[in-house]
Amino acid sequence: MDVFTLAVWVVTLIFLGLSFAKDKVRTKQALKMALGMGKGMLASILSIIFAIGLILTFIPPAEIAEFLSGQSVLLATIGGALLGTITLIPAFIAFPLVGTLVDAGVSVIPAVAFLTTLTMVGVVTFPLEKKEFGAKFTAVRNGLSFLFAIAIALVMGVLI
Amino acid sequence: MTILKKIKENLFLVIVALAYMILFIINPTMGTNTVKNSGYYIKEMIMIMPVIFVLTALLDMWVPKEKIMRYLGKDAKAKGVFLSFVVGSISAGPIYAAFPMCIMLHKKGASIRNIIIILSSWAVIKVPMLLNEAKFLGPQFMAIRWVLTVIAIIIFSWISAKIIKDKDLPGEVLTQPGLHINRDACMGCTLCAKNYPEVFEMKNKKAITKSYEGLDLDQDKLENSINSCPVNAISFNEGNKI
Repeated sequence: MDVFTLAVWVVTLIFLGLSFAKDKVRTKQALKMALGMGKGMLASILSIIFAIGLILTFIPPAEIAEFLSGQSVLLATIGGALLGTITLIPAFIAFPLVGTLVDAGVSVIPAVAFLTTLTMVGVVTFPLEKKEFGAKFTAVRNGLSFLFAIAIALVMGVLI
Repeated sequence: MTILKKIKENLFLVIVALAYMILFIINPTMGTNTVKNSGYYIKEMIMIMPVIFVLTALLDMWVPKEKIMRYLGKDAKAKGVFLSFVVGSISAGPIYAAFPMCIMLHKKGASIRNIIIILSSWAVIKVPMLLNEAKFLGPQFMAIRWVLTVIAIIIFSWISAKIIKDKDLPGEVLTQPGLHINRDACMGCTLCAKNYPEVFEMKNKKAITKSYEGLDLDQDKLENSINSCPVNAISFNEGNKI
């Protein structure tokens, strides 16, 4: 557990204690509400998680690395952004992976496009986001994030 | 009919489950590996989601609407943008962990723009992630990407807010006076029916309002039911006297 996750736990537990001291009934209700939220999202979250498992099997990170280094910059950038969109790789795997690529001389443009869409744009989280925020919100947010991820990558290519 | 509807509602889950079944029939070893691949994400979820749900519910219960509106609402301007970046940056967990929090904030008056900033910064510029990035790609790389990402988020959150209106989000319709339940959002937790059985009841695993005409609504109980709904599907519009 990283420090920040731990911090969220500590803050929440303190908050919970204070809340309990102030009003038991409302606190119990808040906990029930939390449980309700959890139940409501559980199926969606589990499908996200198992979908990621499937994607990692068919598009393993090593193959993504190979793809990013084997193409022209333009193709690799668009491909990298698309691959980042469909996968969800934890930071502690993604950063070392991209680090090795950049060290090996691969252009930073596809690397950055991949890193940015990896976390910000999600095909697997799309159904849940749509359910919670509506179709328009989800489409606009993901669409714009994708375009701006490529813009960020291009500017970084110029700067570095 | 109901089975078909269920499948339609959980289409993604059904597709994933089917894919696993096919994979296990064709190639059991690959299937087992795939389940193992998901292991890390399950751990990640268990570590963060319970606490996010509790925190969201507590904030929902104790932070008054006016406060959220003042700090994250439309009129919060630059202050709201800054605060949203702070909230997103000190967060933990994957992007879906931000969903319940953002829904709650929006219901309490946070603007669309600020919600998008929180979601996006939660996804890409979390502090723990930045540390990791600096370690493997160098502090300079990290700093430049951070600055560019912040600028990009400021711009596209502004564009998004021009396109998306509050009414595009579920659970925002409040035109007719009286009690409303957003049946798309309701997930059948039965809390409202337990809190105020005179007004709410369950039908087909979803809450509906009973006919409450002539009934003297107990404001406390009503407010309780509205506030305790985990998906904020209940709304009450006091336009006309009911």
